[in-house]
Amino acid sequence: MGVPTASFFFAVLALCCLGGVAATLIASVVQRVVPSPVLAALRRDVGAASVALAALVAVVATMGSLYYSQVAGFTPCTLCWYQRIFMYSLAVVLIVAAVRRDREVRWYALPLAVTGAGFSVYHSWIQAFPPDSGTSFCTAEAPCTTRHVWEFGFVSLPFMALCGFSFVITMMVLARPAPQEVSVVESTDHELVSL
Amino acid sequence: MSNRPTTSSSRSERARQARAASEARTRTGWIIGGAVLVVLLAAGIALLATRSSGDDVAGGGASPSGGTVVPSGDRSTGPVQVTGSALPAFSQATPDTAVGQPAPGLVGESFDGEAVRIDPGDGRPKIVAFLAHWCPHCQKEVPRLTDWLEANGMPTDVDLFAVSTAVAPDRGNYPPGAWLRREAWPVPTMLDDQDQAAASAYGLSSFPYFVVIGPDGRVVGRASGELSTSQWEALLEAARTGSSTSTGEVGPASRVGG
Repeated sequence: MGVPTASFFFAVLALCCLGGVAATLIASVVQRVVPSPVLAALRRDVGAASVALAALVAVVATMGSLYYSQVAGFTPCTLCWYQRIFMYSLAVVLIVAAVRRDREVRWYALPLAVTGAGFSVYHSWIQAFPPDSGTSFCTAEAPCTTRHVWEFGFVSLPFMALCGFSFVITMMVLARPAPQEVSVVESTDHELVSL
Repeated sequence: MSNRPTTSSSRSERARQARAASEARTRTGWIIGGAVLVVLLAAGIALLATRSSGDDVAGGGASPSGGTVVPSGDRSTGPVQVTGSALPAFSQATPDTAVGQPAPGLVGESFDGEAVRIDPGDGRPKIVAFLAHWCPHCQKEVPRLTDWLEANGMPTDVDLFAVSTAVAPDRGNYPPGAWLRREAWPVPTMLDDQDQAAASAYGLSSFPYFVVIGPDGRVVGRASGELSTSQWEALLEAARTGSSTSTGEVGPASRVGG
């Protein structure tokens, strides 16, 4: 797979992530305004799958980042490294959590994803609008304003990372059991207590 | 949640709960499976999209598996002789310390084994472009410059040279000779050697990389990254006038190493 194919592939995936985030936001707003049992059931099911979905995205993002540095030969800049720190650790933590079906991982994954997203926003910003004076992160060997990838006229590497982090954040918010699920657990506990 | 028997729930109620839990698990499985399917689908779309546009996009998706047949005797690297002192490594720092320094002379060979001499100070301004076959920005730059040169003709007052460097058989779009032939690249191209002697003599740090040399053999300016047509014309103008107009990091570039 050549670099143009890989870039197109990862750009499409990034947009899928963004679509997932947007769909979740819209669905939650609709559910607030017009509560529907279908959306509530969807919320429960996606909630149950959320950790696995987030793990999938973090793993694919990690593979993408390794592809670009190890196969395509792009030298990661300092800001890329900061994003890698958070994405790589997310991949490991979320895989373990997905295997253990541990939705409590959101307390650990959310801070990682939010911090990573912060770096991605800043990095995307300086790639879209490179400052004349450079930045304290840029070095001559790996200038962080270089757009190694520029798909569809706006999808850069940090933008892809931002899409991945946003998706993980959304899934971690969904990992919180829905109110109905909580009540089921509570009633079961109550039954156990009444034994 | 619990499989323990409870006094308060009947057998049928437990069966109903188990069925509901199993259905929920199935739905979760469908969701995860769907997500995996999306990833595979994206891979398929990417392969199709870049393959169909491969003919008009610069070497797009070209890879060793792309069916390129290399004629026998085609080489990717060759001997390079460097005379003079090396230029400092190119960086974004301004002003560029290389400007005003004499550019080193290079003697090497073309893909066909013919001698190529880059002899700064022979009274003619020069632009030397350094290209790597695997660098996506070079793959985009080459057809753009080829189109410009076809439309405007080779400049008569500026000598153009290219150096094919950083050859890596395990990277995409190999070999460089086949790629440049496919693109009908009209610029005399020298092969760098395996140690990239020519590239390091010219202070290369990213691809594509352009060094503008005045008629007196001194560096007028350096630029790295993809050039737009107007930036390319500015480089030509800089070579003609001997004064730097637009150099530095001009567009997307691929870094050395990685």
